[in-house]
Amino acid sequence: MKQNRGPFFVGYLPAPEALRGFLLAVCVLFVAGLAGFGLAIGVAQDDPGDGAFRFDYGRQTVTGVVELTPYPLLRVTEGNEHIPAGHTLILAGTGKTNVESRAIPLEGQLAQVSGVMLQRGALDMLQLRGGRNGISAAEGAVTPMETVSLGRWKLAGEICDGKCLAGAMRPGRGLAHKACANLCLLGKVPPVFVSSQPVEGSEFLLITGPDGTHLPEKAYHYVAQFVSLEGEVERRGDLLVLRLDPETLEVLQ
Amino acid sequence: MSVKYIPVQWNWNKYIYDAVMLLGAGLFLYVFLYAAPGILSHERPINAQVHNARAFGACAFVMLTVILCIGPLARLDPRFLPLLYNRRHFGVMTAFVAITHAGYIVDWYFAFSASNKYEALLFANTSYGQLAGFPFEVFGIFALFTLILLAATSHDFWMKFLSPPVWKRIHYLIYPAYLSVVAHVSFGILQDQQNHVFTAIFVGGALAVGVLHLLAALKDRRTDAATSTAAADWVEVCDVAEMNDGFAKIRLLANGERVAVYLNEGRLSAISNSCAHQNGPLGEGRIIDCLVTCPWHGFQYDVTNGRSPAPFTEKVPTYNLKMDGTAVFVDPRANPPGTYVEPLRLRDGTTS
Repeated sequence: MKQNRGPFFVGYLPAPEALRGFLLAVCVLFVAGLAGFGLAIGVAQDDPGDGAFRFDYGRQTVTGVVELTPYPLLRVTEGNEHIPAGHTLILAGTGKTNVESRAIPLEGQLAQVSGVMLQRGALDMLQLRGGRNGISAAEGAVTPMETVSLGRWKLAGEICDGKCLAGAMRPGRGLAHKACANLCLLGKVPPVFVSSQPVEGSEFLLITGPDGTHLPEKAYHYVAQFVSLEGEVERRGDLLVLRLDPETLEVLQ
Repeated sequence: MSVKYIPVQWNWNKYIYDAVMLLGAGLFLYVFLYAAPGILSHERPINAQVHNARAFGACAFVMLTVILCIGPLARLDPRFLPLLYNRRHFGVMTAFVAITHAGYIVDWYFAFSASNKYEALLFANTSYGQLAGFPFEVFGIFALFTLILLAATSHDFWMKFLSPPVWKRIHYLIYPAYLSVVAHVSFGILQDQQNHVFTAIFVGGALAVGVLHLLAALKDRRTDAATSTAAADWVEVCDVAEMNDGFAKIRLLANGERVAVYLNEGRLSAISNSCAHQNGPLGEGRIIDCLVTCPWHGFQYDVTNGRSPAPFTEKVPTYNLKMDGTAVFVDPRANPPGTYVEPLRLRDGTTS
């Protein structure tokens, strides 16, 4: 083979003079290149959207009727500036936890809830404070709440964990976020279906399993993908609830 | 070369190498973490933990890509050999950057639940039967543990303890680890990217690694074809006039071994081409202070007996030589490592 008779580098000896210019150029290129890549990749981050914890609103305390889908909802009867009466509020616990153990005893009753709001466009959710500070029975007459069936629908869109989607994490959806979303759903954090086409004016639907069950585990494999599905849709105040028929789940390309 | 084990045998070249490496990685992270957000026009920022995880993950990928380019670059152009010299420090630093990336991920995406976050990492997504939504985290876990293993065993102590062939095989795991990183990124963040700048850098980097290795392999194949010899009792190396003082001619023997025949001050000697340290090509080195010096890490051997000078203890096999006219021949049967062989003295005027 052809012999290399050029400058010869030995690590523990000073670099040969004939090689120093080349090595200096490599060092400059390396450092500048890494800084350049850092900038190029850093400024190419996608916008995570406007979802966020609304700490700027302060602690929110409202009263309403507790419903279980089985994910807990509050049909607000006495609201405030940010959560008006008539609104249906999805309830969640801190982190990747739910508030079902506290909401179940209050099903169908008037309750006061308190916590911090998450909001992403028309989707919002209340992360309750701990214990009775988060949810407790309230005095007063219970107003009957109507649930309107909208029939069976076939929809296309993405199953997300509602809390991350609403702004607990930015970004809070997509395939790179799937494991996090699944972990939320395992913690019975309310899931939300983001429809590619609005349903009765709403892009976000609370999604449950059939017959008042939680989202079935089969659906976890479809989380964060663009899917088509069918189910019964019902209106609870200003919130749509989709009762998934898991046999109809299909990945769309 | 070291006769006893110390954490790092520092010298000025290592200081400079590490300083440049740290400066590059530090600038990457600084620009990504502190300069880029000001340029982004997001209504609300990406979560700091996610941003940090992305910065360290992207940095680890770029560093690993550069590391894997150094080997073939040095095969294609010896001027890149100095980058090989202290590459293990680069690898250890990359492992730390990757650990930091994993730490942010686990402490963010897999925390806040009733489950242990490390267990959650394994059970949260079990969609192994599908491509879209595949649990890409497992690729990252494999790559991370491999990087940690390689970093932990990077010291020469482990090479001596495990023996160079075993150590070398373990460290070839860097290739499955890199493929695993490629899969980790491809099934993960690339699935959600709307802006494809990172995609282009990622594909370009991975392609650079692949193409450079291919080119280096083709070059090695051409070299092997040019230096290979048929089986014989004595194998012709070259005409002595083709040899240069202080340099070697390499021949690939029929048994797969390579022999380096050196001309040293008018005398011919032959030793194995494989350095006892990391199988560096001794025949591509040269003689400094009467000692064959490996081009990779500067390990040295007496060309007459294949032994490192005292107090060092490394040894390589030697070979017997003979001349027929001006032709140099080597006996393909290697002598045991460290065997002295009387050099062949040349007559005046037989070399260039």
